[in-house]
This record gives sequence, structure tokens and C-alpha cells, in this order.
Amino acid sequence: MEKHLAMAAAAAAFAAAALAQQPVPPTPAFAAPNLTPQGVAALAANCAMCHGTRGLPAPGSSLPRIAGRNAESTIEAMKAFKEGKREATVMHQIAKGFTDSEIAAIAGYFASQREGS
Amino acid sequence: MSLQRRDFLKAGGAALAAGLAGCATMRSASGPAKARVVVVGGGYGGATAARYVRLLDPTIDVILVEQNESFVSCPLSNMVLGGFRTMGDITRPYSGLEARGVRVVRDTAIAIDAQKKQVRLSRGDAIGFERVIVSPGVDFMWEALPAMASESAQGEVLHAWKAGPQTAALRLQLEAMPDGGIYVLSIPEAPYRCPPGPYERACQVAAYFRARKPRSKVLLLDANADVTSKGPLFKKAWADLYKGFIEYRPNSKAVDVDVRGRAVKLEFDDVKADVLNVLPPMKAGGAAAAFITVNKRWCEVDWVTYESKAAKGVHILGDSLQIAPAMPKSGSMANGHAKVCAAAVVALLRGEAPNPSPTLINTCYSMVSDKHAIHVASVHKYDEKDRTMKAVPGSGGVSLGMSEAEGAYAMNWAANIWADALS
Repeated sequence: MEKHLAMAAAAAAFAAAALAQQPVPPTPAFAAPNLTPQGVAALAANCAMCHGTRGLPAPGSSLPRIAGRNAESTIEAMKAFKEGKREATVMHQIAKGFTDSEIAAIAGYFASQREGS
Repeated sequence: MSLQRRDFLKAGGAALAAGLAGCATMRSASGPAKARVVVVGGGYGGATAARYVRLLDPTIDVILVEQNESFVSCPLSNMVLGGFRTMGDITRPYSGLEARGVRVVRDTAIAIDAQKKQVRLSRGDAIGFERVIVSPGVDFMWEALPAMASESAQGEVLHAWKAGPQTAALRLQLEAMPDGGIYVLSIPEAPYRCPPGPYERACQVAAYFRARKPRSKVLLLDANADVTSKGPLFKKAWADLYKGFIEYRPNSKAVDVDVRGRAVKLEFDDVKADVLNVLPPMKAGGAAAAFITVNKRWCEVDWVTYESKAAKGVHILGDSLQIAPAMPKSGSMANGHAKVCAAAVVALLRGEAPNPSPTLINTCYSMVSDKHAIHVASVHKYDEKDRTMKAVPGSGGVSLGMSEAEGAYAMNWAANIWADALS
């Protein structure tokens, strides 16, 4: 019995040591977001594949237009997606990739976009 | 760009109207010519890059070298095989880019001389550039399938992995196949263009069989150990929508093809097909081949500028790249690469610093029927320390399940990304 306990203890110690030696995935050293006007436009350009260039949907697209939308309402929607409070197919997964300051900057960018500008 | 430089360029403009050939920077008494950017390849990456350089700075002379008359989309092309879309539905003109001032040259870039700063063409005169953006997609490694070396073999056993004439031809082969036949799709080891594409294709062909040829079968021979993208979602779609129509065999790598016998040669046996569709292993395409730095297949770039690690002034994007961790070779990704690259090229031409913190979103839909879709999404940011793009922890994911709502979103995606690249 004692022998078994000792073996179990040794095994546990070994497992702990192995765990300790396992490489912990390093936290990514993300570059600080560039929130100059060009940097914000570059961030927002990622939304174009579904929401249209500068948030202006292409003819035939039925997704909501985000160009010209009030910044507060975009921020609120993105926050709700990010926190899982608003149901979505994909936006909750995408919103989690952006910091609050990035979301605010993107929302401001879309609020100022107009047709033909 | 400062007002001063803009006005300066405008003043010099009249003296600088010149043909396509010649030096990138044609100098005249009134000052330097407007900068020229040549884009090689008008797919998801190249067309987007050409458009965004012009959007960001309309004074830059942009020339797009593209061998095809029109843009034909790989995304949605599997629906042509299913019979739910026509070639016309997935074809768009380059006229929107031309209206934006992009000069589209129908030719093939055969070489890029980074020293002389020239793109050499198959038919026309060489075109000079200040910076070149290379987005040629993939080439096939026919050497991996010796019997496929000849053009006649490649005309019989199709890949249809570059949307265009092969897409239409494969659909005709499926239509001509008698009921009770077997369609075999051979999938290469990852990485290859569009990881979920083969599994979506299986759904589309099975949907056609279920409706029109119910005694026929789809057989997937996958060189990989398992479905490489959206695995559980595809397997559920196969079970729920196409029960009895799709057979999946992992670890089944093609080593050659029996062209006349319509069979794939695996390591230990041959598998006969009625319609045989073989995706060969892939590598960086055409003009990018000279800048391959990894495994004799892919090109490495600086993820801030997309400048090649092999040549200055040469920017590469899209499927030719050695991908960063968790980054797929997709049209969505190429569209994102192109916008980061275009902004960096414009900044560099102005002597400004490029955006040091690029972000990319990938969103790929797969149509598992005529109206149901599933997706995979991810967000990638630049890691300064490791100088690569990394997925943001906690972001991204796949669909909960297939849905008609996502099918509609997939169509919106296509309409918007095509406009983002081509209008």
C-alpha cells in the first residue's frame, strides 16, 4: 500500500514536472493599433468584404448599411456581439478580435462615410 | 500626400503622358513622373490591390497585367458544378477598374526583373515600375503526378481549381456521366488553395446527383488525415443532406493518374472513376515563382509591407504566400492582404512609414447545398516580436450549424467582395 502511495506520489510529481516543463503558449506581442486616420481606414477596410467598401453595400446586398450609421449605435452593437449578448452567426467571432478603442475608431470612421465621398 | 506634392505632380502630368513601355520613372524638365505600380494578376488579391492603390492615391499610375478577359470567381464556382449557378453568375468585367483609371493589359507576365524594375510580358513590351505587386495565385506541381505532364492529359483529367473554362468543362463531364457513375475527387496534402473547397465541391456534386442521378456516388480521396477545414460541419452536412452519396477516404494520397483508364493511383491501389477530378499539389504561381523562399513552393514576405524577402520593390500577396499560422489560402485573405499591401506601397512611394500594426479578417463561406452555408472566420494581428500575423486569442470560429441565413450572407459576401475588388 505504502509502496503504491509512494509510486502514485512519484507519478504525480513526475506529471507536475512534465507540466511545468511544457511550453506555455506565449502571449502574442501584438503591435499597438495605429489609430491615425489611415490606420483606422485600414482597420475598417476589413469589413468591406461583407459590408461593402467604406460600409456602402454593393447593389444586391441585403446586409445592413453601416456607412453613415451613428457611431454610438455601432459601438453598442459591436460591444453586444463581443460580450455574447446579441445573437449572431459570425459577428460575435469577429468582434472579439478588436479592442474597445479599435471598435470606437471604426465606428467613428463608418459614421462619417457618405455615398460618393 | 501633401497638397504641395499633389499640385506638383498635377503640374508635371501633361508632360508625362507616355506609353506603357519604358522606365518606371520617366523624368522630364518639369520634374519626376507620377509613380507607377504594376499589378500582376487580377484575381481576388491583384484586382483589390489595383483598386485600392487608386482609391488611396489617384495620382499613381496603376497597370494591371491579367491574361483573362474577365474576372471569374473561384468562390461560388462549385455551385456551377452543382448546377445552381452559371458561368455568367461568377464572371465580372474589369471595366470598373478601368473606369477608375487602372490600365488593364491582357497579357501574361513571364518574368519580373527586380533590378531593372521591369515586368516582361509574353506578347507586349516590358513595363517599368517603381513597385510591383505580384498576385498570380497558384501553379500546379504536375511533377507530383507524372502521367499528368502532357497538355492532353491535363485536358482530360480536370482540376477546375482555377475558375474558368475548366469549371464549365467539369460540369459538362458531370452532365455526360450516366447515372450510377462514380465521381472521384483527389485532394492534395495541405497547404493548398481554399482548404474547405474540396469538401464544398463534394456537397455540390452530391446535390446534383441526389436531384438528377440518384444512383451515382461521390468519392473523396484525401491525402490528409482528416477534413482540413470545418470538418464536423461538413461531415454533418454529408450525413444529413447526402446520406449514401458521399464516401470519404482519408490518408489517400494520389501518386499518379491513369489518364486513359480514368483512375487515381494511390500508394497501394488504383481507384477507378467515371468522372475523375484531380487537385495536384500547388505552389506559388507564375511570376511569383522566382521569389520562392520556402520548400521550393511558397514566397515569404514582410507582413507589414508584403515586400518579398527575396527582392526589394517586389510585393507578393494571396495564395503564393508562405502563410502565417492559422491563415488560410483564401480569396477573403487575399483581399485583406491586398489592402494592407496597397496602403504600404502608397506610403513607401511617398517616403512615409507604412502602418506598423496591420489587422486582417478572414471570413470564408462554404455552400453545402443550393441555399445552406457554413463559415469559418478569424482575426489576425501583427505580432511585432515574431514579425508574423497571429490569430487573436478568443476570436474567430465556425458556424453552429448550416443555415439558410448564412447562405444569404454568403451571397452578400460575394456581391460585396467583388465590388470591393472590381468597381
